[in-house]
Amino acid sequence: MTDHHHNPHEKPGWADTKGFRNGFLAVLVIASVAAALAGLNPAWEKEHPHFAVEGWKVFFALWGFAAFMFIVLAGQHLRKLVGRKEDYYEERE
Amino acid sequence: MAALFDALLANPAVILTVGAFALLALPRHLAQVWMLLVAGFSAIKLSMLGLGEYGALSLFGEQLVTVRVDPLSRIFAVVFHIAIVLNIVYAWGQRDRAQNFATLAYPAAALGGVLAGDLITLFFWWEMAAITSVFLVWAPGTRVTYLSGMRYLAIQILSGVLLLGGIVLLYRETNSLAFDFVGLRDENGLIKMSALVMFLAFGIKSAFPLLHNWVQDSYPKSTITGAIILSIFTTKLAVYSLARAFPGQIELVYIGAVMTIFPIFFALIENDLRKVLTYSINNQVGFMVVAIGFGAINGAAGYAFGNIIFEGLLFMALGAAMYRTGTSKATELGGLYKTMPITMALCVIGALSISAFPGTLGFVTKGLIIDAAGEAHMFWIWLVLLFASAGVLEHAGIKIPFFTFFAHDSGKRPKEAPPGMLIAMGVSALLCVGLGVYPDPLYALMPDQAAIADYHPYSAYHLVEQLQLLLWAVLAFAVLLLLKWYPAEVPSTNLDTDWFWRVPGRRLLGWVTGASRATWIALWGIFSGRVQALMARIYEVHGPEGQMARSWPIGFMALWTAVLLALVLVLSFLA
Repeated sequence: MTDHHHNPHEKPGWADTKGFRNGFLAVLVIASVAAALAGLNPAWEKEHPHFAVEGWKVFFALWGFAAFMFIVLAGQHLRKLVGRKEDYYEERE
Repeated sequence: MAALFDALLANPAVILTVGAFALLALPRHLAQVWMLLVAGFSAIKLSMLGLGEYGALSLFGEQLVTVRVDPLSRIFAVVFHIAIVLNIVYAWGQRDRAQNFATLAYPAAALGGVLAGDLITLFFWWEMAAITSVFLVWAPGTRVTYLSGMRYLAIQILSGVLLLGGIVLLYRETNSLAFDFVGLRDENGLIKMSALVMFLAFGIKSAFPLLHNWVQDSYPKSTITGAIILSIFTTKLAVYSLARAFPGQIELVYIGAVMTIFPIFFALIENDLRKVLTYSINNQVGFMVVAIGFGAINGAAGYAFGNIIFEGLLFMALGAAMYRTGTSKATELGGLYKTMPITMALCVIGALSISAFPGTLGFVTKGLIIDAAGEAHMFWIWLVLLFASAGVLEHAGIKIPFFTFFAHDSGKRPKEAPPGMLIAMGVSALLCVGLGVYPDPLYALMPDQAAIADYHPYSAYHLVEQLQLLLWAVLAFAVLLLLKWYPAEVPSTNLDTDWFWRVPGRRLLGWVTGASRATWIALWGIFSGRVQALMARIYEVHGPEGQMARSWPIGFMALWTAVLLALVLVLSFLA
């Protein structure tokens, strides 16, 4: 195991630069919008959808966004219910 | 005896097991070379066998088939061999004999179970898997891991006992020991007791909801390499067993759907990233269980194959970070991309793959399961699986690489992972992308060739649906970060079902033990008091001072002799 601590005067890494973060965000937004727009193309629709919602052009985009939001925003409250001190079991065993 | 010898020789699992025991006598520095050779022999043996049944044995008049290679067992056997080799390479240079032994013996047991053609052989390997794997839990050698290993062993042995009970009941019903379709219900639609017991045995090992927490309790406490090996075999052996005995059982759809959902929330709030990955195992096995419930065996087997590769890759990448930094906690990691860029890149490939991005192994296998839900017209299950897919992206696709390599800078500047780890991770990543782009070799291994022939993962609608789902979920993550709504990691222990047996269960056990002890002492006191009183009375009568010990006068003896003679005289007259 090695644990070399960093030099406080070192330059920020590429992922920590504003340019990279903005660029990543821009690519993500463009790709997401493109995926949503691709859903509008009738040629790329499912020929025999199993459910009506598959016909809603951007259903998967909305469901993915909403599901992720729900998981994070609702899920974090679980910590209040089940979260304990780190040594919770060590004290009891 | 000759038949037994032939059966042993026919079994690749026996080759691995013998190789594992031979390790105990070999010099430690030759361990990995030997293990690779043994794994190679086993793989060659498997390929030479081809499809068919081998190693027939007669036990108490019953015919056993110790090795069965059919399309379902073959795909599991193949991926098990790939995983064994990757694990050996990853742990190159490991000198711990117990761990090296388990690195071969435990997968051997899982392989033996997968290849078993009868239930007795399955039971034997089932228990072997439990016993050999516990050495990996115990490997760190602390009190915490000792207790965890004991709990793990108790649960695994319970699963084995249930399996044996199920086998006995099933044999009474069917007079057969064949390991084939069992089904939960009889012809009248009633649940069969034998099937239920066996189902529960498989359920424990595949970590059904509420029976799941042995995974979180044991795997993250193992060593770096131990956790990777453990993550692969036990649950996949159980998945295989469910696919063999209970395909198409609708109960599995609902159980699997719950399995895909609840671990997402526990993974979100978990600080130990190895524990996050164990919740990911529950979630991933859930997808496989749903597939089995639909009877979509290609989906279950294909996703098991894929999961072993990409989940293994994530465990390996996190293990490499842990090897270099000594921690797997999100609060203590971050910023490692600066000095571990290769590990980071390989981890991202694993993350993309488990999230099922197009071009990866996850995409070409998970689609089989989602499509099965569509074809079954089970809307809510289909919706749950899509929801769970977003959840996978959150905890395995984003959380693992983000908190390990990016997020806040931990200030740690460790060296890149050692060559053995990089090679194992590199090959795993290559498989993720290679089979993702060109899945034909994997599809050729699928159990149901007729079904897979009609499946085209790279159809336009598949791509659009999946990209919409995943990209917009990533967008949600970006929004949450920008708004600072994404929860910070907190060092904590999160209670799960193991709380019931670790806290109140432990207290109850302590109370039962105390009460039993007190009852025993009381009963023993009463018993020994009575015995002492009896002994005292006997001593009083027969002891040196007792009535029976005193000397009798001659006249008294003469009187008694006369009485007895008179009695004999009277009796003889009467007769």
